[in-house]
Amino acid sequence: MLRFLAEARAVLVKDLLGELRTRVAVSTLGLFAITILVAVAYAVGPFRISAEDRPLVLATLLWIVLLFAALAGLDRSFVKEEEARTASLLRLAARPLAVWAGKLVLNLVLTYLLMALIVPLFCVLMAYRVTSVPKLVLLLGIGGYALAVVTTMVAAMISRAMTRGALFSVLALPLLLPLLIFLIQGTAAVAGGDVRALIPAVRALISLGGAMTVASALLFPAVWE
Amino acid sequence: MLRAHAIFSLMRSRISVRFSGLAKHFDMRLVFRDVSGEARPGEVLLITGPNGSGKSTLLALLAGLSRPSRGTVLHLASSRPDGSEIPRSDWRNHIGVVSPAMAVYDELSGLENLRFFARVRGLPDIETRCRAALEQVGLDPTRGTLVRGFSTGMTQRLKIAQAMLHEPPLMLLDEPGSNLDPEGRQWLERWVQDLLATGRTLILATNDPREMEWGSCRVALPG
Repeated sequence: MLRFLAEARAVLVKDLLGELRTRVAVSTLGLFAITILVAVAYAVGPFRISAEDRPLVLATLLWIVLLFAALAGLDRSFVKEEEARTASLLRLAARPLAVWAGKLVLNLVLTYLLMALIVPLFCVLMAYRVTSVPKLVLLLGIGGYALAVVTTMVAAMISRAMTRGALFSVLALPLLLPLLIFLIQGTAAVAGGDVRALIPAVRALISLGGAMTVASALLFPAVWE
Repeated sequence: MLRAHAIFSLMRSRISVRFSGLAKHFDMRLVFRDVSGEARPGEVLLITGPNGSGKSTLLALLAGLSRPSRGTVLHLASSRPDGSEIPRSDWRNHIGVVSPAMAVYDELSGLENLRFFARVRGLPDIETRCRAALEQVGLDPTRGTLVRGFSTGMTQRLKIAQAMLHEPPLMLLDEPGSNLDPEGRQWLERWVQDLLATGRTLILATNDPREMEWGSCRVALPG
């Protein structure tokens, strides 16, 4: 187990070092997210939605911004390996599960960085008030994890296909749709102060995240090799 | 612990590679068919053929990076009681590959690349091992330079250092002398002779007449 963790850590450190030096994924995620956010803020604005609709509509807009930015940037971890022709040596040197775990943690770090940048900006630009910040952070933590699991697995699948960009979105969306629905429900509940509506959403998100983790860990070696 | 023991046992072992009736299609295009041969310890098996005949594709099949459309590839270890077949999932532990189709990470330095490959392979004495490998290929003075600043010859040397890092008993080389200067070619020839002297198995895809002199067994792919 310790050796597996050391191997996964080596993959993560290599990718983080590469990302720190090139900043390709961070730039893609950040620029894409800020562009959508500004467009949404300009088109919808903080005051064009009725008070009654605000929790649900703003929760939906927030997750649309986060989701599409994630779809634009998180596939880099695997696609880059294929494009730079480093994937074959990685396959020869590392165990598939160590590669999966390392890339998953990288995507998790990038997702949380994206959230740390976008969520406060969204709250300011859209005058979005949440009744409980810790509950929102909990929801973002669980949702970010599930988002990272799905995008890691789908990125591995499409990195071996030819039509990369379009295929990533097509494969990811059916997996992300139930996730998105529960995230919107949960976020709207946090904004509206409805704790009773939050609990089932959190339970569903934990179940989805867990199921996706097990499924991707089992399927990844077949996809990667 | 058991796994580490199995890996190091394979690294010390002598490996034969036996392949028969291999065919490979990409979609509808047939690359080659009915290719057979055997690589034995202490010998160089040459794979020759014109450009596009499938030399690199055959090496990828023998390395387990791709599956044949037809035919079988067996890796046999002398360390196993009956000289028996090594499971495909364990092939990576005893293989070193140098190929133009496989790149190292150009956003990392030479030393960082080797450290990474040593860590994911779970090798002991990482620093000593990496420095020794870099020194052997003449890259120790530039160990901190990012690979994107390397010449093609230096990158080729780093790929060779990566391939020998875990001292594999089976080496698959695809045009290993390409981009090397005369001094590098001389070093490469000495290195190949050392590998053969220690009972390692070499499979070499080349069209270079000088490299063809290293082996007598040959699989010639038609164009």
